[in-house]
Amino acid sequence: MSDHVSEWLSSYLDGELHGSRLERVNMHVAECDACRAELASLEKISNLLQEVPSAAFTPPERFAAQVRLRLPHQRTVTPGKKLLEISWWMIPVGLLTLWIFINTSFFIYDALSVVNNFGLLTGVSPWMRFGILGAADWSSTLGQIGILEGNSLALAASTETFTRASLTQITLQVSIALLYLSWIAIWWAHYQHQQRTRPLEN
Amino acid sequence: MTNATAVNEIELVFRAKNGERNAFSELVCIHAQGVRNLIYRMYGNAQIAEDAAQETFIQAWLHLHSYRSQMSLRNWLYRIAVNAATDMLRKEKRILPGDLEDLQLSDPQPGPEAVAFQEERTALIQKAVLSLPDACRAVLVLREYEGFSYQEIADALEIPVGTVMSRLNYARKLLRNNLEQKLFLQEEAEHV
Repeated sequence: MSDHVSEWLSSYLDGELHGSRLERVNMHVAECDACRAELASLEKISNLLQEVPSAAFTPPERFAAQVRLRLPHQRTVTPGKKLLEISWWMIPVGLLTLWIFINTSFFIYDALSVVNNFGLLTGVSPWMRFGILGAADWSSTLGQIGILEGNSLALAASTETFTRASLTQITLQVSIALLYLSWIAIWWAHYQHQQRTRPLEN
Repeated sequence: MTNATAVNEIELVFRAKNGERNAFSELVCIHAQGVRNLIYRMYGNAQIAEDAAQETFIQAWLHLHSYRSQMSLRNWLYRIAVNAATDMLRKEKRILPGDLEDLQLSDPQPGPEAVAFQEERTALIQKAVLSLPDACRAVLVLREYEGFSYQEIADALEIPVGTVMSRLNYARKLLRNNLEQKLFLQEEAEHV
């Protein structure tokens, strides 16, 4: 018979075959002398292995005492470590909160600027107009002392307004992104280290 | 393991995770024999089994926080044990595959002929097991001596069930090829 089931005999012997494969092996073994002989030899090997006695070890209680003597101290997570761990996980949350706060602030600032351009902020509390009115302070000062005038003053004022509005925002966004990426990099390095040192790898 | 024992073990693990060394010692008592047997069957040396088992439990203590109760503690410990023993032998170059000097037989004293025959037979079998590749030997030992199902072996060694099947099949065939002739010759010699 050419269609032997030799590769499944070991699993068959252990009762680990199921369904159609089990049926197929059952039928084949019933008909094939060679596979039946192989199955018998595998069974014999299994029985032979049981002949090897185990060793005489120290009693479990004594062994446990020996292990206990070698157990390192300070295994448990101390409150300080726990706090550190919580703080560590709060970093991305804090960064996200900061990012939302900055974007909201800039949005409000832009909205107030638009409103101010329509002259709707005249007569309101000065604190609301603070920052918006002083958006081109440096160029105004330079204009007042006569260093800038005409088109150059207008250009300087628009450049200063743009820089104040955009550069600050870009700088803050980039800083937050860098901090977040650094956090991810540190977390990844730590995770890799843990994977390398854990005792479960095969 | 009965339900009561399992519940007790879960409680012990919980207490050990909270740093209770007494609870951990109880766990060591429960699993000491199994872990040492496994390593002994893998490497055929009682001293190595004792040392590697100690290392296993120390590693388990250090990493107990990462143990999840969905997995059997025994399987988790066995996985650590296989790795700890392999690492220890690799580092210390103490591995003695095929070396029968340290094999502990049931009766080291010279006895009647039948005992001597049995000892020789046992030594041959153990030598054949030790000569198997590590990966196959681990699967064979877990199946033959610990009575693990294929799924349990797969969980303990973190390998697919299909790999368990093929390694076991391969290990048994190697053993058969190795032992059949030797044992046959030995039996022939016995009858002469």
